[in-house]
Amino acid sequence: MKTENQSIDLQGKAVSSGIGIGSATILSSKSITVRPDKIDPNKIDVHLQKLKDSRELLLSEYKVLKEESRLQNAKDILEAQIQTLKDPEVNKRIQLKIESERHSVGYSIFSTLNDYIQLLETSGVKWATERAVDIVAIRDEWVDVVSENRREVTMEKGDVIFAEEIPPALMVKISRIKVAAIVMEKGGDTSHAVILSQSLGIPCVINTHWNRYQVEKGMLVIVDALEGHIIINPGDQLLVQYKEKKKRELSRVKKSLKWAKKENITKCGSTFSLRANVEFLEELPKISLYGANGIGLLRTETILFETTKFDVKEQVEFYSKVLQATKKESVTIRLFDAGGDKLINDKSSEANPFLGWRGVRMLLDEPQLLEKQLEAIYRVSGKYMGRLKILIPMVSRLEEIVALKKIAKKVRTELDTGNVTFDAAIPIGIMVEVPSIVMMANKIAAHVDFFSIGTNDLTQYTLAVDRGNEKISNLFDSYHPAIWKMIKMTKEAADMHQIPISVCGEMASKPEAAACLLGMGINDLSMNSSAIPYVKAVICSHTLKELKELSRLVLKEDELEGIHKLFSKWKFTY
Amino acid sequence: MVRKKVTVKNESGLHARPASVLVQVASKFESEFTIKMYGYHVNGKSILGVMTLAAEFGSEMELIFEGSDEKKALAKVVDLFKNKFEEED
Repeated sequence: MKTENQSIDLQGKAVSSGIGIGSATILSSKSITVRPDKIDPNKIDVHLQKLKDSRELLLSEYKVLKEESRLQNAKDILEAQIQTLKDPEVNKRIQLKIESERHSVGYSIFSTLNDYIQLLETSGVKWATERAVDIVAIRDEWVDVVSENRREVTMEKGDVIFAEEIPPALMVKISRIKVAAIVMEKGGDTSHAVILSQSLGIPCVINTHWNRYQVEKGMLVIVDALEGHIIINPGDQLLVQYKEKKKRELSRVKKSLKWAKKENITKCGSTFSLRANVEFLEELPKISLYGANGIGLLRTETILFETTKFDVKEQVEFYSKVLQATKKESVTIRLFDAGGDKLINDKSSEANPFLGWRGVRMLLDEPQLLEKQLEAIYRVSGKYMGRLKILIPMVSRLEEIVALKKIAKKVRTELDTGNVTFDAAIPIGIMVEVPSIVMMANKIAAHVDFFSIGTNDLTQYTLAVDRGNEKISNLFDSYHPAIWKMIKMTKEAADMHQIPISVCGEMASKPEAAACLLGMGINDLSMNSSAIPYVKAVICSHTLKELKELSRLVLKEDELEGIHKLFSKWKFTY
Repeated sequence: MVRKKVTVKNESGLHARPASVLVQVASKFESEFTIKMYGYHVNGKSILGVMTLAAEFGSEMELIFEGSDEKKALAKVVDLFKNKFEEED
């Protein structure tokens, strides 16, 4: 099949936002093959010389790259690579393999570095396992050099790079050419390639199976790293559309950053809080960039999956870093919210994971995991009095709250006897995301310190729509009148018991919905930090009276379409 | 030969960056440098050796120098541990 003029649509995970348009360049990853062949004794000197030459070549290349690099993290990465090449133990071992085992230089490098990679991978320490990929990268590059099989890197300014995975040194090279975008098949959220693309503002999409299609050098590509969408060979019409979108996006980013610095105050002088939803440490710099008031939702799933033994110490470290980065603002930690399918060593699968063993249900069944997390939170709190809040996910009945609070008390008592200073008054609140809680909100409010509405799950459970099911995904709409009524009920219950209420779902990140929430009296919203400036722009340019009028009209509507119509005038414009 | 026990004070452990600083400093001295931890011995001038120790916050290790400038080298490296390798945390 000829794909020349046929457009190909791909989907991936957007990790560094923006839109890039350019011609495709493919970084082939020839898999290197090294066999434990024995070499002729009279060739030993040749192989030793090759080892020396290849090391010198790479060293000089890396040194130049390091000198020329302006990014501190790029310099650090390269310095570690340089030291690995110079490592006396490593070189001694490689040399020994050539001399006494009579292995080829390629195999000797490969197997020596492999031993270290294995040690790092099995260390059980997060940073060490993460750095193993760097040693893999240097191993492959070094073997490529000695087998005279280096990857040709020919790319130009404005190219869209397609790669399986990009090793750190190559990423530094790429960062010096102004590429339009990067598409990777693999790559984790914390890989160097991803972190560098974020600090450089290069649009980047990962987890894209571009390899399965015939992507060829020179093909025109659009990378929409706002939506994680890639279009190869777009038609003229699409191209015009995306060029327009790119322009809009650039001016949007520029203008929005101005809003980020403004005070959180409506046209009539009422104040409100916009907080950030955060999952990774790498997101922390965005908090001040986008002007967030601390963190309204700190997701802990990732950190918990990454720490092998759900260690208290590693969690303490993670929370401390988050608290340091948020200055004096508050941080709401949502307890581990995941389904049982993700738990290590548990392979049993559920027919209906969204209605299954997850959130507080799982936490109460795994008291050790829960206690460790609570212990870590309380241990950190001593140094940051009054700044932490605990959020319980997926609550569907009062008993769960009572049981969890009992465990929290037990943890506090234990720390007390251990003479640990901690904040005994950390507010404990719940996610309001299951309809049963909304119906019981006026009773439940008496048992918790705050409510935080999770609009995505609340929508899914209220409307009985599975978002992942393509046949009905169009029915998933958080603006459904029933959802607004549930939010109102929850707000009234919170007011009755005088507890704070916030919204941390996707809804809060939409300026028009945020305006309506404020009109309903919910003035504490948490969202993806990059959405904050837009939300702020809309709210700041209206009076509270206007916001109240909007929410009054929205709550009066019986049909979804009517609500969308009301909102159409409230979207963010320039 | 001089030796001294030290503790890792960096909250994130002796990760890639401090390991790199340690090796850079130690390599400036002529003396041989061995680090002993949980019965393992690694060459303190080998970055991969130091990294594979995967030393976390609070880990104890013994630094052993042997050579003409052993005393100076030990003092300098002990300082690094004290100053948390000039990390901010």
